[in-house]
Amino acid sequence: MNETQLFDTTRFGTVGYIDADVVLFEDGLVGFPEHKRFLLLCHKPDSPFRWLQSLDEPQLAFLITDPVNWVQAYAPVVAAEEVGLLGLVESSPRLVYVTVTIPAGQPKEMTLNLAGPIVNDVERRIAIQLVLQDETYTTKHRVFPQANRVSAVAA
Amino acid sequence: MLVLTRKVHQSIVIGEGIEVVVLEVRGEQVRLGIRAPKDVTVHRKEVYQQIRDENRSASEVRPEDVPD
Repeated sequence: MNETQLFDTTRFGTVGYIDADVVLFEDGLVGFPEHKRFLLLCHKPDSPFRWLQSLDEPQLAFLITDPVNWVQAYAPVVAAEEVGLLGLVESSPRLVYVTVTIPAGQPKEMTLNLAGPIVNDVERRIAIQLVLQDETYTTKHRVFPQANRVSAVAA
Repeated sequence: MLVLTRKVHQSIVIGEGIEVVVLEVRGEQVRLGIRAPKDVTVHRKEVYQQIRDENRSASEVRPEDVPD
């Protein structure tokens, strides 16, 4: 079905989509197993950020980004079984995203969850969130250096 | 909680097709081998919980806080 459908979201108002835009998380995201259908929305033109908007829950959206924008050497070791869960083969075109956390009003405190990347099989439009066994990466990777409290007070 | 005592190389079977084997005991560390069907995911609990908690935090981000 190629008809445009409409969905009312809490953050972004009404968005239009076609079936081919829907990304299916068969297992949901970790802690959100009931939410399986998502849309990828642009944040702003040329922004490195996108939103993963649930199509089951208007209020549920995750800010995501391509980790390579921030951590060039990001190359987690992924167990073969985990890739197998998605049915990916080596040649499958895929996109990798990580979720972004920004405490309210504190954009400089932004962190990336490098330990739970989202892998999206572009052709089949299915995705999975991995739980890395690789301990190199943390769930709270800072993007901006820790604010210098002394100079913050002086300013 | 069901409590069982096992020796090295002994295992327990959970339902159909899930087996947990004690591979090695070294001081406070226990190495386990897990055989499970492909659709059963197995994770270290603390890592799984951290990612779940981080997903909750990520779901509360406000668009106005996203840097340009």
